[in-house]
Amino acid sequence: MDLVRHLECFVAVAEESHFGRAAARLGMAQPPLSQRIQRLERHLGVRLFERTSRQVTITEAGSLLLAEAREVLARSEALMATARRIRDGETGLLRAALPPDLSGRTVAALLAGFTEGAADLELELHELSTAQQLAAFAAHELDVGLIHHPCDVSGLELGPVLRRELGVLLPGDAAPAGLPEVPLASLTGHDLILFPRPAAPAVYDDLLTTCARNGYTPPAVRHAQGASFVRGLVLSARAVAFGPRDAHGDGAEDPGQGPDSGVVWRPLTGAPLALRHSVAWPEGRGDPAVAAFAGAATHALRTTAGASPDLPSRPLHLRPASEYWL
Amino acid sequence: MTDALARIHAAFADAGVTGRLHAVDIDTGAQLDAGADQPVCTASVHKLCLLVALHEQAAAGTLDLTEQVDCPPEGRTTGPTGLAAMLDGARLSLRDLAYLMMAVSDNAAADLLLGRVGLDAVNRTTARLGLTRTRAVHTFGELLATIKEDAGPGGAGALADPHVVTRLRALDPARTNRSTPRDMTRLLAAVWRDEACPPEHGAAVRRLLGLQVWPHRMASGFPFDDVHVAGKTGSLPTVRNEVGVVEYPDGGRYAVAVFTRTARTSALLPAADAVIGTAARLAVDALRAP
Repeated sequence: MDLVRHLECFVAVAEESHFGRAAARLGMAQPPLSQRIQRLERHLGVRLFERTSRQVTITEAGSLLLAEAREVLARSEALMATARRIRDGETGLLRAALPPDLSGRTVAALLAGFTEGAADLELELHELSTAQQLAAFAAHELDVGLIHHPCDVSGLELGPVLRRELGVLLPGDAAPAGLPEVPLASLTGHDLILFPRPAAPAVYDDLLTTCARNGYTPPAVRHAQGASFVRGLVLSARAVAFGPRDAHGDGAEDPGQGPDSGVVWRPLTGAPLALRHSVAWPEGRGDPAVAAFAGAATHALRTTAGASPDLPSRPLHLRPASEYWL
Repeated sequence: MTDALARIHAAFADAGVTGRLHAVDIDTGAQLDAGADQPVCTASVHKLCLLVALHEQAAAGTLDLTEQVDCPPEGRTTGPTGLAAMLDGARLSLRDLAYLMMAVSDNAAADLLLGRVGLDAVNRTTARLGLTRTRAVHTFGELLATIKEDAGPGGAGALADPHVVTRLRALDPARTNRSTPRDMTRLLAAVWRDEACPPEHGAAVRRLLGLQVWPHRMASGFPFDDVHVAGKTGSLPTVRNEVGVVEYPDGGRYAVAVFTRTARTSALLPAADAVIGTAARLAVDALRAP
């Protein structure tokens, strides 16, 4: 018997609790669906459902088998994805994407790690923003990518969420620059330089909300992206900007951002701000190649970008308009 | 219309949400489609389907809307409003439970009504009205239980974790109460045209939709004293929805359904609430353009 196809029927009936609805979802008629369930029950020697005239309920034995049935289906999908990849490329091709803000060191470590773990796979690497990656996933043009959070994660599976702590870039003679660690509230009065909001509205809003929550509401937000332009604005406009430790802090590569340039980098007290990343791939399309990429990316971020596991969540007070309650 | 669609998509992107919208002129059938046939999680928007099923049974004489229901404090479905938030026993009529369900999205009132009406009857009602993509698979208590179970020991705080969000069954239209924007405008248009239930019951349903207290979503797009907005919201972690009807004094009436998934996992997202009003207004303005 075609076990995978029969398990698909089992999972559909279990999730819909109704033969008619399950049949509609599977795009088949009800009688062959009932026959398949009966055949599967004979094959397994276990009764999966109790049927009354109006209702179908899963048996205890059925419940015990459901998780494993889903697992088999997921593995089977992954196998098909790998086969597709091997068929489409000579040795197998993984289409992957990285965001533009990673350091060269991180990208190099990722590539080295991936080649070590999956030597027989060809990697087609693209530089894409999170929004571009989500669109490419939906269009089936991308297998795996490293994305920024927050973003709409519906239909995705994620690797571990990692945070890259952000510190502050400020003029060397500004008062808070004298502190080893700068509280966000002490930046009061300084304009903030941030990337243009359309590039990632949710990340932008998240950063400003966290600033406000910690006592820093900038009088004005100016938009800039290039590193030297940002530094120029920090110096000329007495403004501040945020940057990750791996680009500006101890052991950073660029000597132009050292104390001599007039701009200093300081960690923020309590590390309230961070860039958050994870590897992501479309739900059900994970396979060993995707796993190899996820492993290499996570390892590279941890070892070369000082990324650490996401912090435990803060208290959350649901308000009445939330409509849900736990 | 294409300009309006582009502006609606831009508004969704600016608010950091993925949005689906369908808007229809109830009298001319003119429409605006921005993902109208995408499957969406209804959340509390499904209370509208339950309300229509309740009135269908009342119209058929199988129940009396003034029938009194005992609402003991034990075993109530949880929630932050209405009976779900109250501490003591109460006794209310079916129609007053319906008021609480629609005005403040009372989960306990909704499940008491669902206990009387039945999940199957709700599905029969939506099927009868031709809403082929709309289905309720669990009660509101069961829906909240899946969130609690999937969130794990971290409780509500864990819902800020993107990892947790990806595994919530409540956010997968295939595994929770579901519909499409087009199905929901079809339901609203049927209610406003008195095709869903007889006129006296249609009027009662419209009255309750007009008594919803929330000002922050669809209503925020129509800050005009002479424009009437009636609707029902739905919310879950990263889900912000509202479906409703906007009526102008010149007789124009428009059914609008907006379903969004937010990028941010925060519980408070004023921009996502407001964009439901912004998008609805862009759609209605386009439908009203000469």
